[in-house]
Amino acid sequence: MSEMAAADPEGIDGVRMTWNVWPRTKVEASKCVIPLAASIAPIRPHQDIQTLPYAPLRCKCSAALNPFAHVDFSAKLWICPFCFNRNHFPPHYSMISETNLPGELYPHYTTVQYTLPPAPLHPQNFTGSAPNSHPPVFVFVLDTCMINEELGFAKCALKQAVGLLPDNALVGFVSFGTQVQVHELGFSELSKVYVFRGSKEISNDQVMEQLGLAVSGRRAPGPQKGAVQNGFLGSNSGVTRFLLPASECEYILDSLLDELQTDQWPVTPGNRQSRCTGVALSVTAGLLGACMPGTGARIVALVGGPCTEGPGTIVSKDLSDPVRSHKDLDKDAVPFFKKAVTFYEGLAKQLVSQGHVLDLFASALDQVGIAEMKVAVERTGGLVVLSESFGHSVFKDSFRRVFEDGEQSLGLCFSGTLEIMCSKEIKIQGILGPCTSLEQKGTAVSDTVIGEGGTTAWKMCGLDKSTCLTVLFDLSPGDKSSVPGNVNPQLYLQFLTSYQNSEGQTMLRVTTVTRRWIDTAVSSEDLIQGFDQETAAVVMARIISFKMETEDGFVANRWLDRNLIRLCSKFGDYRKDDPASFTLNPSLSLFPQFMFNLRRSQFVQVFNNSPDETAYFRMLLNRENISNAAVMIQPSLISYSFNSLPQPALLDVASIAADKILLLDSYFSVVIFHGMTIAQWRNMGYQNQPEHQAFALLLQAPHDDAHIVIRERFPVPRLVVCDQHGSQARFLLAKLNPSATYNNANELAAGSDIIFTDDVSLQVFFEHLQKLAVQS
Amino acid sequence: MAAFVPPGAHRPGGNNSNQSPSAQQHPPPPNFGNSPAALADNLQNMNLNRPHSAPRPSPFSQPPPPYSFSGPSPGYRPGSQLMARPGPSPPNAITRPMGPPSGALPGVAPGRPMAPPGTRPPPPGSLPSSMGSHMGLSPRAPAFTGGQATAPPPPGVSPRPLTTGILTPPPPGPTQAGPVSNGPPVGSGPRFGSPGGMSSSVPPPTGPSSPSAPAQVPSMGPFMTGPPPTSMPAAPPFSGQPPFSAQPPFSGQPPFSVPPPPAMGPPQGSPFAAQPWQMRPDQMVRPPSGPGSAQPPQMYGMPAHLPNQSMTSISPGMAPTGASVGGPSKIDPNQIPRPIPSSAVILHETRQSDQANPPPPATSDYIVSDTGNCSPRYMRCTINQIPCTADLLATSGMQLALLVQPLALPHPSEEPIQVVDFGETGPVRCSRCKGYLNPFMRFIDQGKKFICNLCGFTDETPRDYHCNLGPDGRRRDANERPELCRGSVEFVATKEYMIREPMPAVYFFLIDVSMNAMQIGATAAACSAISQVIADLPEGPRTMVGIATFDSTIHFYHLKRALQQPLMLVVPDIQDVYTPLQSDVIVPLSECRQHLELLLESIPTMFQNNRTAESAFGAAIKAAFLAMKSTGGKLLVFQSVLLSVGIGALSAREAEGRTNISAGEKEAHKLLQPADKTLKTMAIEFAEYQVCVDVFLTTQSYIDIASISVVPRTTGGQVYYYHPFSVLSDTAKLYNDLRWNITRPQGFEAVMRVRCSQGIQVQEYLGNFCKRIPTDIDLAGIDCDKTIMVTLKHDDKLPDGSEFAFQCALLYTTLYGQRRIRVTNLSLSVTSMLSSLFRVADLDAQFTCLLKQAAMDIPSSPLVQVREQPVNTCINILLSYRKFCATVSSSGQLILPEALKLLPLYTLALIKSTGLRPDGKIDDRSFWINYVSSISTPLAIPLVYPRMIPIHDLKTREEEGSIVPSSIPLSSEHISDGGIYLLENGDDALIYVGGSVDSGILQQLFGASTVEEIPSQFVLQQYDNPVSKKLNEVVNEIRRQRCSYLRLRLCKKGDPSGMLFFSQLVEDKNHGSMSYVEFLVHIHRQIQTRMT
Repeated sequence: MSEMAAADPEGIDGVRMTWNVWPRTKVEASKCVIPLAASIAPIRPHQDIQTLPYAPLRCKCSAALNPFAHVDFSAKLWICPFCFNRNHFPPHYSMISETNLPGELYPHYTTVQYTLPPAPLHPQNFTGSAPNSHPPVFVFVLDTCMINEELGFAKCALKQAVGLLPDNALVGFVSFGTQVQVHELGFSELSKVYVFRGSKEISNDQVMEQLGLAVSGRRAPGPQKGAVQNGFLGSNSGVTRFLLPASECEYILDSLLDELQTDQWPVTPGNRQSRCTGVALSVTAGLLGACMPGTGARIVALVGGPCTEGPGTIVSKDLSDPVRSHKDLDKDAVPFFKKAVTFYEGLAKQLVSQGHVLDLFASALDQVGIAEMKVAVERTGGLVVLSESFGHSVFKDSFRRVFEDGEQSLGLCFSGTLEIMCSKEIKIQGILGPCTSLEQKGTAVSDTVIGEGGTTAWKMCGLDKSTCLTVLFDLSPGDKSSVPGNVNPQLYLQFLTSYQNSEGQTMLRVTTVTRRWIDTAVSSEDLIQGFDQETAAVVMARIISFKMETEDGFVANRWLDRNLIRLCSKFGDYRKDDPASFTLNPSLSLFPQFMFNLRRSQFVQVFNNSPDETAYFRMLLNRENISNAAVMIQPSLISYSFNSLPQPALLDVASIAADKILLLDSYFSVVIFHGMTIAQWRNMGYQNQPEHQAFALLLQAPHDDAHIVIRERFPVPRLVVCDQHGSQARFLLAKLNPSATYNNANELAAGSDIIFTDDVSLQVFFEHLQKLAVQS
Repeated sequence: MAAFVPPGAHRPGGNNSNQSPSAQQHPPPPNFGNSPAALADNLQNMNLNRPHSAPRPSPFSQPPPPYSFSGPSPGYRPGSQLMARPGPSPPNAITRPMGPPSGALPGVAPGRPMAPPGTRPPPPGSLPSSMGSHMGLSPRAPAFTGGQATAPPPPGVSPRPLTTGILTPPPPGPTQAGPVSNGPPVGSGPRFGSPGGMSSSVPPPTGPSSPSAPAQVPSMGPFMTGPPPTSMPAAPPFSGQPPFSAQPPFSGQPPFSVPPPPAMGPPQGSPFAAQPWQMRPDQMVRPPSGPGSAQPPQMYGMPAHLPNQSMTSISPGMAPTGASVGGPSKIDPNQIPRPIPSSAVILHETRQSDQANPPPPATSDYIVSDTGNCSPRYMRCTINQIPCTADLLATSGMQLALLVQPLALPHPSEEPIQVVDFGETGPVRCSRCKGYLNPFMRFIDQGKKFICNLCGFTDETPRDYHCNLGPDGRRRDANERPELCRGSVEFVATKEYMIREPMPAVYFFLIDVSMNAMQIGATAAACSAISQVIADLPEGPRTMVGIATFDSTIHFYHLKRALQQPLMLVVPDIQDVYTPLQSDVIVPLSECRQHLELLLESIPTMFQNNRTAESAFGAAIKAAFLAMKSTGGKLLVFQSVLLSVGIGALSAREAEGRTNISAGEKEAHKLLQPADKTLKTMAIEFAEYQVCVDVFLTTQSYIDIASISVVPRTTGGQVYYYHPFSVLSDTAKLYNDLRWNITRPQGFEAVMRVRCSQGIQVQEYLGNFCKRIPTDIDLAGIDCDKTIMVTLKHDDKLPDGSEFAFQCALLYTTLYGQRRIRVTNLSLSVTSMLSSLFRVADLDAQFTCLLKQAAMDIPSSPLVQVREQPVNTCINILLSYRKFCATVSSSGQLILPEALKLLPLYTLALIKSTGLRPDGKIDDRSFWINYVSSISTPLAIPLVYPRMIPIHDLKTREEEGSIVPSSIPLSSEHISDGGIYLLENGDDALIYVGGSVDSGILQQLFGASTVEEIPSQFVLQQYDNPVSKKLNEVVNEIRRQRCSYLRLRLCKKGDPSGMLFFSQLVEDKNHGSMSYVEFLVHIHRQIQTRMT
């Protein structure tokens, strides 16, 4: 397991790169096959990170002062490592000396955090006296087109969530089905809801006007009686009407939820329920836009089925029309897909401009349209959880985690902005991950764009401590002009992330990293030493996912194979045309196996999944850290037996044994697999007999480990406990290298298992790889 | 004349000619002897008229000095009536002596007969003096009868009862039988709810004869007094008749200072309860008694008289040459024709001697006995004979049209319409024209076939319906089958008449809660009215209720019981509305009563600080409609400000019109047209889904009724207008209007068609409905107050002397979910004589047509033209009469047909009415137009020629006996500065206080010692003194008569309000128009010009 293997491969900086030494030229870089990329975790907590209670010094190039700056203590100035400009220290740094350094200059504090005075992001609202912290805002959007039982689960989860929220958190509530109902929680006389038609696209202005939040709607002169209560300085009537502090609205919301029925509009037989997810979200976005523009707010959507009404529709109401599959997407036989995606892109844009987050909790046996909504969730940095039912622990536990405090807390933060500074030879192609380009042009912007690119700054409306982004770099083409002698041996990258933390404070984190340039013409040895196989595998997975989604006619397997062969050809040791002579440096040796598993993974073999699942997997792939993402690609397998401590096992069918328990962690699911014998013993109840306490312990161990994994992870993985030959065993078998299939079953020892597949096994894969890599 | 009770009063003249029933009754004794006298009188009248006021017996004028006019008019009446009736009376007289009947009668008649018996005899002989006295008596009686029709039975009615009783003699035995038999039908057929009450009440009277009767009588009295309104309403509460419980309305009324509401309630069921027995006996009896023998003779006698009397000529006193100058001066204002109050309840048989009997005046108090033709309440023709050619009609200058009020309230004493159930086969109909079986279809071939009286086709009689013919050629069972002997009958509709289950009774209330509505208190008033009215809604699971409020958004309320409190659902999209819930917006009343009450209580506070000034009325009704679409029903909207946003948004056109006067001159009437088609389109859709919209406009500003009213008009609803709205004085009216709206007899999802015999076809329908195909009209809602005018057109020559039939069929759903077909038949004889046409012209119907047509023209033609139209019509009619019928050749005399002698007066009043007055406010005029479009015949004349009564000397005249004092002419000559006057037009009322009124009276009536101290926001209080009590009684009685809670406005001399009052005096020279005398001169001159 990554946790065990490397205690903290990301260190204080939370940065991992595919290459830790960089070739100097673009040509050399392209020969490296694996692109130059960094995976950054912008606000990953680390015990060594210092928080400085002032604003950072910024160079003219806007890079922040950092330990790599050259400081001239006598002249009281510093030289920016990015632009080489000289900057004078301001008067309050006058005490600086070699022995009296400010925090940001301590050499090992390459990452520091500043607390900033609250800066009004949108000066037009909250005139002047902005409260020192904005309470977090949660608007719950609940689907009511469900069976009563499901709705009951969802309501229950909601109630629990509201109870967990901090008292000052503002809460809003929207329910929807055939129509959208915006509940005015602040209306005391009786329950009041605004109802919007589900079939009609509604503009933001209309939403505001119709909710009485537009300026014109409030034009009635005279004292605004009633708006003054609530401590918001009479700021915004929408806040007092639709959003209420959790402490005040908990009761209201409880009773409201108690009375909330499933959608009452009739459904004609043979049809799907009419569900207007799209309008519901856009109305909610409009509501937040009117009430809380520019401050952190989350739309928490609980969706129980596909959108069939109005904009964002993904499937017709007719039940004989199935929800689109990958095959349909491939054939372009998806009448609703493009329109829905366009709609959600618009929604994403709106949310980003307002700085609001869309979280999606989808619980349904059928698809709900995550593939279409993905853009809105990902661009706003929202959370996404897909499960089968609101009663399932995957949803229940995940949902609770979102609102829980303490260790388990996700550390939800808002309004993040990421800026990247880099040495001038370096260009940025873009970012894969939950963020949106701010279109801020600069010299460091590459012509090639991948993902959210064309900028040096990105918006992350929502981010949390595990949020992770992949930055793809490029080098300036043939920019050799700089005087060779003067060449800086180090390259620098600085990531500046400002955000509003869950307490409402504005923070700025500055991470500055340096890496060594290397002249690859001399030798590739150093280069190979700087290769991070795990990161490279994950980056490849992210890139291939991105390409599969965006490039028409992209053949994933071929692209992967070609790149792998190129990599092996370049860095492998072999004699030409002699496969047997092929060896790989240990720094590279695991990579082919990653690629083998990637080829077999859900990211590439999408046809086993629905488009929704694929979108879901990919979103998580993009936002998780390298270790976790690596697990998604290549699950970890631990074997438990009487004779030894738990130990990692080969991800191979051969690891199955009758007297072993296997624990598979494929990120999305955690599988505990009992060998046949173990299962029999357990069924006979040996574990309950005192003399077989060891057996009880053996049975218990994988559960304990599984729970450690589950507790740490968001979304909570599905726990599958199964026995050899049981139906659920497929969760394990699907991930194992099919070294034993029915084709060679007769060669196997008793007690082992086979997989019924025609897929090639790792061995075969390797043979072919070697053969192709050594070809001249 | 005008002096007496308005209802009956107007027609005095007409009555004479028609030989009003009441007259007949009185005369009974004199019968034959009288008839000659009558003739003489008539002759006199004619002569007299010309010369001067001659027609009116001098005696009269003398006795009632104060009201000189009133005096005379009565005189006429009596005379003529007496004359006319003589025929019928004889039998009565004979019968009276009969012990048995009398016994039964007593109960009924108690009050009425008492006085008359004694007095009557004299009449014949002592016409002059005794007449005077009679008059006095009778007038009172009428007043009672008119107003309280049933209740006061004693005074006014008495005469009839006696007569009727007498007639009935045969009934003694029969009576009971009759009643009983009726009873059952009644129960089933009786309209809304009252049935039970009816039947129950009926039996007692008949059986118990005297003992029981007395008992009831007393009860009656109480009714009268308590709930002034009709005895009907009152009856229920007092008597505690269970059946009526549904109508408790009365009890609800207390809240308001005035009991007026009762009026509302009464009309429905109660009427039956109170008087039923009286009348019934009569009616019941008759048919059995042998229509053949006794009555026919009388009938014949009658007709004869009529023709003779047909004309009354009046000379304005003009010099022959029309010395215009001198003319007027010569006119004795006291001599010109004026309405004469009818003194007594008239008994009217719709057919006598196998001929249609011209109906009594619409405003009089009459009791109908359906002897083949329908009651004139349901259907009236402008001329009671049909001209055989279009040319003849054209020559007469009159219009041929029907006024149909299919659900009109019957007189409490009338036999309710019987319900006939043909079982699964449904009613028998002509297979060609689909006309319904009626008394005028002729069975031939031993009853195996019948000939349709509408299209002439010969149909096979259905086998199970076959019956042999009697010697008289009628089916033997004709008298047992209502469809064969009654002009009005109701068939139970079969499945074939339903495209879905009959709809439930759905009431959806929509309330304006915009800033303005809140501030003027309209919302609170509406909520309180609704919350009180809830109790009056029919019980049972079929009653569904919904409620919504609106300002610039629409707020629905989820009223399901499970919720702790109602849930408000706001629909904010007012360009493209929708309903926020599929179900539960409209829920059965029984499931949401508490929520509803709670909600209505909290709405006014909830929106207390509402700052939204905009109103999305259009979107709101659309949204409510969507919620009701699946069922249909009544949508009651309370609106206070101009529809300014959302669907169909309007602009303040009135202001534009004012600022742009030059353009406005030509196009002024455009402001009376709907601003655009949006609402019309919506309204048509509403009608299609059976949603009937009533709009209550509680406003203080321009609200563009012209545009808004399209919705109620198209959907069979109604506009109520409270302007300027005042919480103080309008809250009670709002409640009572709403209550009447909901509790009055009504039907849903109706379709109506009028069929005619061959030779004439329906040209057009006019009223509040939606028309999608040429032959039928669709009425999402139809109630007892709505009248539809049907214009007719000849397309062929009719055979002279034949019978011509009209049949109106109304298919509707009752409040209780039964599908019914109400069929009303009217068969009139065809004539080729122009003079006959004038003789049987129906002034009320004629004028109502004139009024409706004028109203219809206002929005589309320049006002000058519209004002000319009725005058021209009037002149043309009189000209034609003068040319072809008048025997007198003196050119200096204006000769008026007796039946139409008041036409000039009403025409003048019409062009001075709100709608035709050039200085009227746009909204006032729009409202007027709209009010007129569905106005019923009895209310048409009072609208333009209000009734005015002095109320400063109520006490002194108490001995008169009728609750409402006799009216006085609408002329300022009759206004004294020391007097207080009440003027009412059936919709609104003014109280005028002169400048030098005795402070004692003021103190007694208003609790203030000077005029200035009376608050201008006036509310009638009842103080503990007889005068005040009396005034309240009077007002309540009027309210009951009009089925309307008249809002009282106080007018003080010298105030603008005083001007308002004087502007109502149509006989004066005002509004830039002529005085009555001048107008007569004008007409006369026009006629003379055209003659030459």
